[in-house]
This record gives sequence, structure tokens and C-alpha cells, in this order.
Amino acid sequence: MAKKKTKSTFIGIKATPEQAALLAKLQEQLKSGTKTEVLLKGLELLAQLSPDETTAALETLSADMASGSQPATSLELARLEAEAQQYRNVLQQTKNKTEGVMRQVIKQISQTDKILAHYGSDSSELVQMIIDIQHENHWLPKEALVWLSQKLDVPLNQVYQIATFYKAFSLVPKGKHSVSVCMGSACQVRGAPALLDRVTEVLKIAPGETSPDMRFSLDTENCPGCCALAPLMVVDGIYYCNPSAKEIKQIMAACK
Amino acid sequence: MPKLKSAADLAKLRQEIQSQAKGKKVVSVTNGADGRARGSQEVVQALVKEIEKQGLKDKVRVKSTGCHGFCEKEPIVIIFPEEICYVEVKPADVPEIVSATLAQGKTIERLLYQDPNTGKRISKESEIPFYKAQNRVVLGNNRFIDMESIDDYIALGGYSALAKALLEMTPEDVLTQIKESNLKGRGGGGFPAGRKWETTRNAPGKIKYAIVNAHEGEPGAFMDRAILLGNPHSVLEGLIIGAYAIGASQGYIYLRHDSPQTIDVVNKALTQAEKYGLLGKNILGSGFDFNVELHRDIGIFVSGESTALMTSIEGSVPEPRPKYIHTSVSGIHQRPTNLNNVETWANVPLIIGKGVAWFTGIGTEVSKGTKIISLAGNINNTGLVEVPMGVTLRELVYDIGGGIPDKKKLKAVYVGGPLGGCLPESQLDLKVDFDELWEAGAPIGAGSMIVMDETNCMVNFARYFLNFLADESCGKCIPCREGVYQMLKIMNRICQGEGRDGDIELLEEISAVVMDASLCALGQTAPNPITGTIKHFRKEYEAHIEQKRCPTGVCQMLATVGRG
Repeated sequence: MAKKKTKSTFIGIKATPEQAALLAKLQEQLKSGTKTEVLLKGLELLAQLSPDETTAALETLSADMASGSQPATSLELARLEAEAQQYRNVLQQTKNKTEGVMRQVIKQISQTDKILAHYGSDSSELVQMIIDIQHENHWLPKEALVWLSQKLDVPLNQVYQIATFYKAFSLVPKGKHSVSVCMGSACQVRGAPALLDRVTEVLKIAPGETSPDMRFSLDTENCPGCCALAPLMVVDGIYYCNPSAKEIKQIMAACK
Repeated sequence: MPKLKSAADLAKLRQEIQSQAKGKKVVSVTNGADGRARGSQEVVQALVKEIEKQGLKDKVRVKSTGCHGFCEKEPIVIIFPEEICYVEVKPADVPEIVSATLAQGKTIERLLYQDPNTGKRISKESEIPFYKAQNRVVLGNNRFIDMESIDDYIALGGYSALAKALLEMTPEDVLTQIKESNLKGRGGGGFPAGRKWETTRNAPGKIKYAIVNAHEGEPGAFMDRAILLGNPHSVLEGLIIGAYAIGASQGYIYLRHDSPQTIDVVNKALTQAEKYGLLGKNILGSGFDFNVELHRDIGIFVSGESTALMTSIEGSVPEPRPKYIHTSVSGIHQRPTNLNNVETWANVPLIIGKGVAWFTGIGTEVSKGTKIISLAGNINNTGLVEVPMGVTLRELVYDIGGGIPDKKKLKAVYVGGPLGGCLPESQLDLKVDFDELWEAGAPIGAGSMIVMDETNCMVNFARYFLNFLADESCGKCIPCREGVYQMLKIMNRICQGEGRDGDIELLEEISAVVMDASLCALGQTAPNPITGTIKHFRKEYEAHIEQKRCPTGVCQMLATVGRG
């Protein structure tokens, strides 16, 4: 203790002996407080007061300390405040999250409503509606399917029967860019398997997979009818005729 | 747009359209799927811009047309009335085309098609060898028609067959003509359309349906989308005539969802036809009502099967059902439904318009008319070929298709897609004919022909088709679902060099069961790739199994890799 009193700096900050004494007392009061916390607390106390009051406050503080009473109700308050702040943050986060989810759900539902309205809520158009949902999102969010089943009064398993029957539908989010390699017979004869190998090599994903950064999804298809271009790779609707590994790399790099 | 109320209205409209087009030059650009993949849309845009820039806007019309057939050389630009044909045109060539050919009538030599045999440049489309041997009655009009213009179709005499059928003939007359023409289904079955129509017509029930099957799930076949994209109204006209003969009040066009361009074009065609009163109530004042709806579906192979397709229109997954009662009697919602393929429908207005005698004058004894073949694989001129029935496969491959690239030897022609069969070189003199090819074990199917050269492995190709069919099997009946899967497992083994003695016999045995016991045509014909290749190329199978060796080096033999 005595050692500290003689010190003229407090964690590198110059202090008059009085200030140092007050800080030391403050530290004692805070018990487990580190030096930084003590200093910050002291500065906080100072900031709350006008210059005139500062002196008075310091005097009171030193008097309080001398009398041994508990002056730091403000510290307790601050702790509570910090705690409250923490809870608020957590709450806010939860709220944001819930809001995000809700917004997503609302978006899906309103989108689905639009699609429903377009087909006059006719359950024989179920496949069409699911195609539209797939087109809008590039995959089928659960919310939309549940909503579809509720609104059309079609059992959810029937909706899922369709959603899982076709390979063109996806129940998981797809990458931003769709890459597909034609496996039709003409392409097959002209070397589609080798092309697929090259694409797999470059993208490092197998057919049916999506890259971890959600940039690319790779699929195979059966003949879009451009057999003169065989073997064919399609990236976001653009056709490429038998690209080399180098060309594939360039094409993929150009996809932002 | 006024609604047409009589044949006279239609004739008047045709005259108006024709007089407006008089004296104008026309530039047709092939802008179908293949063309677009090669930048035809940019060529169209560049042409429109350049023509405006050079002040020829009032004298020239640009038409964005569907595929003419010669996919290999697209984008193709044809200038009418001279019929100058430029191939593989790039946007950079456009200014010269406009300033030289359109403005001054000069031909640009370097853009003309060059005959690879003689080296001669050919200026007219009809003189290119690829087209010369063809008889393009269905596809031929594509080059005159802008995809989105009903007027172009009417100007060529479109919808006059409809007027004739509705106003001058009874439904029975139409039916008789189609029956007499012996028009057979172009989608794969080859069933006479007239007989099918008659069954639906005679089936009890007030509400009947007529469907255009434009599903085209067969890999390597692309004629249906070419017709529907290039000349949608010919299909629509056929459908309306058919509906009149059948007594159907509602039609459907069943399309794949993954061809947005076709969906767009067909939707526009329907709207235009409605505006002219060619669809809807009291068509051309005949008292006949008919509506058409477009139904998009996911492109899976089995959706093209008639019962599966109808289940799908009802809103369920396309699983076939047993056909103890034909769909012509009990189809959509258990009502009589007639289903025909795009190409079949497109032939109907031709038969009604030009007469039965004209139609039966083309083709062979049993198969009349023309057939569109999509020629692909290892062949110089990939494309759509419309030939009269009776042309030999050799003519198709060498005269029209231009032979095999790199002077390689032809090994086989695979006819009819996954459910078809293969024909080795020795059988190339067979004719394109429903019965003849069926008997040879290679049913024509929708008309896809994949040409294979000596570097292609037949075993691996059969394995590929089996893999496709195993993927596409709907899974409803066990013989197809499990049988095809087990065959695939054996084939995979063989292709990896792990074939065993007796595998060929086992494959034949499973094939027989799958063929006999499956529910629909997919399962019943699924073993075709295996049985066909075993029949003609047994030696290749034996090399794979006994010597663990792929004669063409296509299959990667895992078993032999370690042994050096």
C-alpha cells in the first residue's frame, strides 16, 4: 500500500500524490478491480461532475473513505446497468433474429399468396405453383410448402410427394450460380463424362452439390436440345461447347 | 384486332398482310435454342440497329425465326426474296450484310456455306446438300415465320385448313380423312392417329380433352421444340382441327418448364389466336368452341407417358397407371382424352389443307408422310432432318449428315433414344419406317438418331442409357425400379472390369422379366439398350468380361489398373 502511495504514475498516467491516493483508495474500495477499471471509474466520476463539484466530490469521497462507509453505490448501479445492457443486447439479437425469420416467413407467405392468386387457388395446379416457388427462390423453403398445403387444403405429404419426386426441385438452398453439364446421349457420345470430370475438378463439388460459399451448384441434365454444341456445359443459362479446364476456370472466375 | 367471323374474314386478313409485306426484303435469323447458344440474339439486335442506322427500316423486315434444322452452322441469316443464305454469322458481320447485301444486293462470298467436299460456295439455302435431300413439309415454313407472329403464318396460308375443316366438313369427314391418310403417331408409339381420335370421339361423356404432348424427354431429340418454337400455329391449328373431329372442348399443351423461350412463344401464340377469334367461342362463325391451356411440367422422362402425363395435368406426380382402359376413353378426370405428339398435330393441317392423296403420296407402303429426325452424335452435320419415310439410314448419315468427322469409321446408329435400339453398320440400308425399324429391334421412337463411331464403347453407352432409365424410373412398379437398378449394377461392374462369367446371361434373364412385368412402356422397353447391344456387339461384352479390357479404351478398368 505504502509503495503505491509514493508512486507518481498510475498505469502510466501522471498523477499528483492526492490523485494517486484517491485512486488507491478507490481501488481498495473496488477490491477485485483492476487498475484500468479503477482509473475508468475515477474518470467516470469526474465526468459526471462540473469542475467545482469535482473538488467537492473528491473531498466527499476522501471523507467517505476515511469514515469507512460504502460510497460506491454508483458502482453497483453501473454493474446493474451493464448487466441490463447485456440482457438488452441479447434480447435485441433474439428480436432481430426472430424478426428476420418472421420477415422471411412473411415474404415467403406473401410470395406464395401471389402464386396462389395467380392460379386461383386451384389445387390441380399444385405442380405449377411449386415450379413457380422453385423459380422464385431457386429452392423450396419449408414455409412456402406448408402455407401451400394449408391454403389449398392439400395434405402436406402430398405437397412433399411432388417436391421430392422431381430432381429439378431442391429442398435445400442452391448456390448463386447454377452450373450444369448435359448428359444427353449426343453429349455422351462426344465426351460428356470427361467434361463433367473437368467441371468437378474445377468446382471441387460433385453433381448435386453446392459449394460451401454458396456460389455454385453443380447438376447434370438430360438434353436441352442443342446437340450441335455437344458436349455442353450450361452456366446460368449460357451455353458453352466443350470448354477446356482452363476455360472452365475463366468462366467460373467471371461469375461474381 | 378484329375477330374473324368467317372464311372470308380470314382471306381478307391474309390479303392485307400480304399486301403490306409486298416489296419488302426479309432477313430471317435462326434464333432457336441452338442459335441463341451461339449468339443469334445478338445478331438479331445488331441487324435491327444497323438497318435503322443505314435508313433501310421501311424496306427491310427482320424476322427472328425458329430452327431451320442446320444446327451445326447457326446462326444462319437468310435474305429473301433472293434466298441468300449466310452461315455462322457473327454480330461483327452485320454492318457488311446490311450495306452490301441489303442495300446493294451484293453477295458476301466468305459468309456463304462452303461444301466441304467440293470447296464450292453455295448461295441458296435450298441448294445446300444438307437440305437438298430433305422434304421439309413440316419444318420448311420455319424460315418464313417470325416466332411471335401469327400474321406470318396466316400469310403463308395458315388457318385455311381450319376454316376448311370447320366450315366445309363435318367432324366425321375430318376423322375419315385422317384415318385414310394413315397418319401415325410421331411421338414413339406409331399408333394410327385416326383410330385414336375415333375411340375418343365414340367414348361416352360430354366433356372431352385434346392434348399436345410437347414434353420431349428423350435425350438427343429436339424436333418438337423446333416445331413448337418455329411454327407454333401449325400445331395449334392441328389441335383445333383434331378437337373438332373428336368433339373436345378443352385442349392442353404440355410443355417442359425448363424451356422459357418456348413457353413464352406458345403463350403469345395462344393470345394472338384468341384475339383473332381462332380460339374461344364460335371459332370462325362455325359454332365450335374450343379453349387451350398451357401446362408446364418438370422435364422428367416418364412424364411423357400418356397416363403419367394426364395424372400430372390433374395436379399429382406423374406416375403411370395400368392401361386396361385406354386414356382415349378415360383420361384426365376419367374423361375421354386424346393425346398426340407435336409433330403429329403439325401434320394435321397439311393433310386437311393439301388433301389425303398428297400426304399418302409421300413415304412408304405402310408409313406415310415425312419424319423429322434429330441427327446428332459423331456426325458432321448435327441437326434436324425432315425426310420422307423410306429414306435409308445410309442416306441420312452420309448424304444429309455429311458422314463421320475426322474420317473415322461408323460403328452404329442408335435409333429412338433410351427406349430404342442400336443398328450396326451392316444394317444401314434399313429404311426409316415405323414397321421396318421396329422389326429390326430399333423402334424409331420420337426420331432421335445418335451416330457412334469406332471410338465409342457400346457397352458403356448401354450402361449410360440404363443409368438414365434407373434415374428416371418413377418407382411405382417393382420390375422396373428394381430390375433396371440391378441391371445397372451388373453393367457398372462390367465397365469397371469386374464382370463375371454368366453376366450376359443374367442380364438377358432380368431383361426378359422387366419387359414382361413392368407397368408402362418405360419399364417394358427399358432393357432395350442392353438386349440390342448384346445382340449386335456381344464380342465387346465378352472382351469386357473375359479379358477385362475395353476395346475402345472408354471404360476405366479399375481391376486391371493395379496389375499394370
